[in-house]
Amino acid sequence: MFALEGVAKRYGPLEALAPLTLTIAPGERVALMGPSGGGKTTLLNLLAAAFPPDAGRLSIAGRPAEGLRPGRELARLVGIMPQGFDLVPSLAVVHNVLAGRLGEWGFARSLASLVVPRERELARTALARVGIPEKLYERTERLSGGEQQRVALARLLLQRPRAILADEPVSAVDPARAEALLALLVGIVAEEGTTLVASMHGVPLALRHFSRVVALRRGRLVFDRPSAAVTPEEIEALYALEDAGTRGVA
Amino acid sequence: MARPAEAEAEAVAGVRTLAGTTSVPPPRGSRVLRLSAWAVAALLVASWAFVLSEENAGVGELLSAETLANAGRFLGRLAGADEDEPAFLNAAGWAEAGRLAWQTLAMSVLAIGFAAVGTLLTTMAGSRPVEGRRGWGGQLLFAAVRLSWVFARAVPELVWALLIVFVLAPGILAGALALGLHTFGVLAKLCAEVVEGLDRRPLRAVRAAGASRAQALLYAVLPSALPSFLTFLLYRWEVIIRTTIVVGFVGAAGLGREFRLRMSYLHYTDVALLLLVYVGLVLAVDAVGVGLRRLAR
Amino acid sequence: MASGATAPGIRALRSRRRPPLHRRGLLTLLLVSAFGWSLTAVPWGAGLVHANGAAVIGRILGALLRPDLSAGTLRIALAATWRTFAYATAGVSLAIALAVPAGVLASGVLARRPGVRAVSATAFRAGLGGLRAIHELVWAWLFVAAIGLSPWVAVLALALPYAGILGRVLADMLDDVPAAPLRALRAAGAREWQVLLYGRLPMVRANMVGYALYRWECGIRSAAIMSFVGLGGLGYQIQLSLDDLRFREVWTFVGCLVALVVLVDLWSGAVRRRLSA
Repeated sequence: MFALEGVAKRYGPLEALAPLTLTIAPGERVALMGPSGGGKTTLLNLLAAAFPPDAGRLSIAGRPAEGLRPGRELARLVGIMPQGFDLVPSLAVVHNVLAGRLGEWGFARSLASLVVPRERELARTALARVGIPEKLYERTERLSGGEQQRVALARLLLQRPRAILADEPVSAVDPARAEALLALLVGIVAEEGTTLVASMHGVPLALRHFSRVVALRRGRLVFDRPSAAVTPEEIEALYALEDAGTRGVA
Repeated sequence: MARPAEAEAEAVAGVRTLAGTTSVPPPRGSRVLRLSAWAVAALLVASWAFVLSEENAGVGELLSAETLANAGRFLGRLAGADEDEPAFLNAAGWAEAGRLAWQTLAMSVLAIGFAAVGTLLTTMAGSRPVEGRRGWGGQLLFAAVRLSWVFARAVPELVWALLIVFVLAPGILAGALALGLHTFGVLAKLCAEVVEGLDRRPLRAVRAAGASRAQALLYAVLPSALPSFLTFLLYRWEVIIRTTIVVGFVGAAGLGREFRLRMSYLHYTDVALLLLVYVGLVLAVDAVGVGLRRLAR
Repeated sequence: MASGATAPGIRALRSRRRPPLHRRGLLTLLLVSAFGWSLTAVPWGAGLVHANGAAVIGRILGALLRPDLSAGTLRIALAATWRTFAYATAGVSLAIALAVPAGVLASGVLARRPGVRAVSATAFRAGLGGLRAIHELVWAWLFVAAIGLSPWVAVLALALPYAGILGRVLADMLDDVPAAPLRALRAAGAREWQVLLYGRLPMVRANMVGYALYRWECGIRSAAIMSFVGLGGLGYQIQLSLDDLRFREVWTFVGCLVALVVLVDLWSGAVRRRLSA
């Protein structure tokens, strides 16, 4: 799904990501781990084609990333699981969910749907799958943080990208809800055969739900192996020293 | 990714504060504020000196017995002292005034409608871009739109009306266009500020979900800006209803035209009646505006 | 004071029950249909546009590209600009002088007893409302009829409605001041007028100065149109030039007005930013 060859990124004097070579196969569930500022978000943004790498080659689903512009084509390949704050607060839930269809809709249809929602059944089914079918016509700003994240997930369900990227998908909700939300996300991804790449703070959560761990620290790859093969010592070393305080508790 | 730079700037500032002397340095803007205060004071003195130096401008003359007697006589006439049947005790007078008030209301609604349409059409072109950068064509358009806002806003409604009646027959449409033009300048600037202050994250998310620019406008920008837009619209409507009477002076329509005519014919009780209806209309629109604004939230 | 603080609190809680989503759609629909209705009030058809309308537009816009910049016109324009500015400044300053005491009384913060407070607030708010309901030009007309043509007409006609709006805004601001610092002052033994001087007024100062500066800019536009009752200034010159169809001069004077408004706007913007920083 993703192939990186010596991909690197820097911000001024700061080396955000040292040359990295990596392949992620379709259907894999990859957790990006490591201390804050380690390069997880930079890597996710690169995979989302939000900006081009400074060096190296990146291809998404076999296509060079620099040829992909935001829009319908990219949206079919890669979806972004937001951290919250990414829904339009004053809009009804149904519209926020249906925004996942905008890539397929023309302008007139999008406009009409704001007055009388189109493909309502699709939105209703998606909301049912994320567990909040009753919120269809609620105004989004009145939902709790966890519910808003479910709405964002429902939008992704309609968008049906081949890969989902998530930056700290559960950092905004309390630990109990985090577990449920992550289980939901992983369950859906598994059903649809979607690739999932997520940066994760909570170590146990990550190891439980993801098949592979890519550990980054100060922009460099520390290790990359199946979750089952990761040892506590490696985790200890990853977060040790100057970044000891930033490890998550979940 | 400005975070490291920001943090660094903060750190440097912190060090400077720590290393500084015990006296707190004045905040950066205080020099401008002090100079502004002096400038305002000087302008005040000069303005009052100018006003008082003009003809008929003595305070003594203003408060002279003659002036006061004149004012008293005028108020008496408004109240119907000289007439056997003041207009405000006459049913036909009220009916006519009511018709004019209705016309005035239509003019104000038409004006705010024109302003709203103009605002909707130009806000995006005149706001700093929500995403990415503009080509030179877009930047040219941006400058032109901004300039038109400043111009539309700085020229008062009445002057616009004076110009417009050279082209359009005096009437509701001419008045509404004049009112709408000025209001458009005010409204568009306010809305551009709202759009520029919007949270960009929902917009980026909608774009990432595959929306085109136009669709993102519909699904992210418009719904977020709409409540403020409606609130501004209703506020400006209240301003417009006050001003319709003034635009009516230019011979446009409604209460204003009639007010001017009655005033020049010295029909004082007619004037009083029109004033009553006018104030009633303004207060009614204010009350309706309060109610509608509650809906907008 | 405790009871005074809880009453609005309860009201706020009640109003926090947000309206359902459809209401905003309803409002939009209402506004659009109102606009549609107003379009029907226009007598559409021949005669709406003057026969030579297009040609006149051409002349007016053509003149915009080359305004009259001769020395004579510029001298007149400069004098008229100063006159308009002086009327505006004098009028708005008088408005502020009236608005501060009226606004304090309209907010009712000086009264301790709730009954007195309600009476003072209602009476003064209604009075301020009446002042601002009438447009400044209508005031000007009434003043000319009452006291004859004098610069005082411009000053008073500006001052009354502007006092109305400034006083209302000041009263609202004084009402919305956070209560905790005021309680601290009262606990220290301050009486209500001392609380006003040391608590409320300093807290609203920056916002009030900013708003007054904004009103000053509006006052310039208002002063410019005082010509309609026969007072001099930019509006008067614009009218004279329009009567003689000298469009190039019109744009010179309009340009002066735009420049004056923009200058004051930029200045007040700079001051506001520094005040709020």
